[in-house]
Amino acid sequence: MKNLNAARQIVGRESLTRRGEMKRKTIAQLFGTLLGLMFLVTLTARAQNTSAKPDDPEMDRVQAMVRQAKQESEQFSKSGSKASEPDSPNLKWAATLWEYRNQHPGTAATAIATTEALRLLVRADRIGEMQTKADTVKLDEAAWKRAIYVLMEAAAKKKDYNYLISKSQALSQTAVDPEIKVLAHMTLGDAYWKKGDIVQARAAFEAVVAQYPKTPSAEEAQGNLMEMELLNPGQPAPQFARTTIKGDPISLAGFKGKVVVLKFWGTY
Amino acid sequence: MGEVPLLKELYAQYKDRGVAFIGISLDEDQKKLDEMVASKDISWPQVRDADGSLVTLFNIKGTPTYYLLDRDGKIAAKSIPIDKLSSAITDLLKK
Repeated sequence: MKNLNAARQIVGRESLTRRGEMKRKTIAQLFGTLLGLMFLVTLTARAQNTSAKPDDPEMDRVQAMVRQAKQESEQFSKSGSKASEPDSPNLKWAATLWEYRNQHPGTAATAIATTEALRLLVRADRIGEMQTKADTVKLDEAAWKRAIYVLMEAAAKKKDYNYLISKSQALSQTAVDPEIKVLAHMTLGDAYWKKGDIVQARAAFEAVVAQYPKTPSAEEAQGNLMEMELLNPGQPAPQFARTTIKGDPISLAGFKGKVVVLKFWGTY
Repeated sequence: MGEVPLLKELYAQYKDRGVAFIGISLDEDQKKLDEMVASKDISWPQVRDADGSLVTLFNIKGTPTYYLLDRDGKIAAKSIPIDKLSSAITDLLKK
């Protein structure tokens, strides 16, 4: 199954795509082909020019640690142990990755190490410890681009959205990277929505629409605002009339008097 | 996709009790969808949302996502997990 973004891991669905991405898929495929060609060109150029930017060995090192952590914790749980036990590899590797962070401040590899250390703590059910550590990550750090999804995972796990809300709020105001800022606004809206605070959720999504017009995030926020307005239990389902893949006309109105199961799906 | 066998069971159980099933596919490739529907022997109607308009209309963010509608066409549940579908349908049929 596709792993299109980090949120998917939290939702745990077969696949999760942002709406904008779905529409852009065809373009993305074309772009992929183009990227492949560019890659070939780059390889050729690199063979001729040794001064090209070298790979990041530190990134490789961190990613190897993350893989190792994953492998060990899989074995650990296969042997019947719980991820929350004190000798869980999750905790050992969270400490190792955090130590790496302390020794290598400000690098791209450290952003990954930070996120993964926090994630491992959540997996090990150490939410409090995760939050204490997350509080030491400065709001202008690049790690938040991914780490905010870890907070989302923790919130969903504990059904407690307060920490996520306060962090998203701070990031939406203070983050330097505009991408993190808009992500924080979206997360803030989602967190309030899940918590049942529709007024605040609406305000967060409206802020995205107003501040980041014509972006995929604005489109997504608009969709969420529409859903909060029109797609609540008890409201009439939106009407549609289409043609089935067998060529028969079908409309929702034709099913009046019946209970209807609508399944959105894909063969991918 | 992994849910197709379960859904087929539900379909067999409820299709003659006033419950309709509609599949809305986000597939880009019509052929792939046709093949899947044929090979899995899915007999309820399928619509391919080629232009993404139904995805927008129902604010769908991922698949699979279920909407359950009552006899009056009102939303009874959205994003309901498949293991809760059966009891939710039974409840609606009692009303």
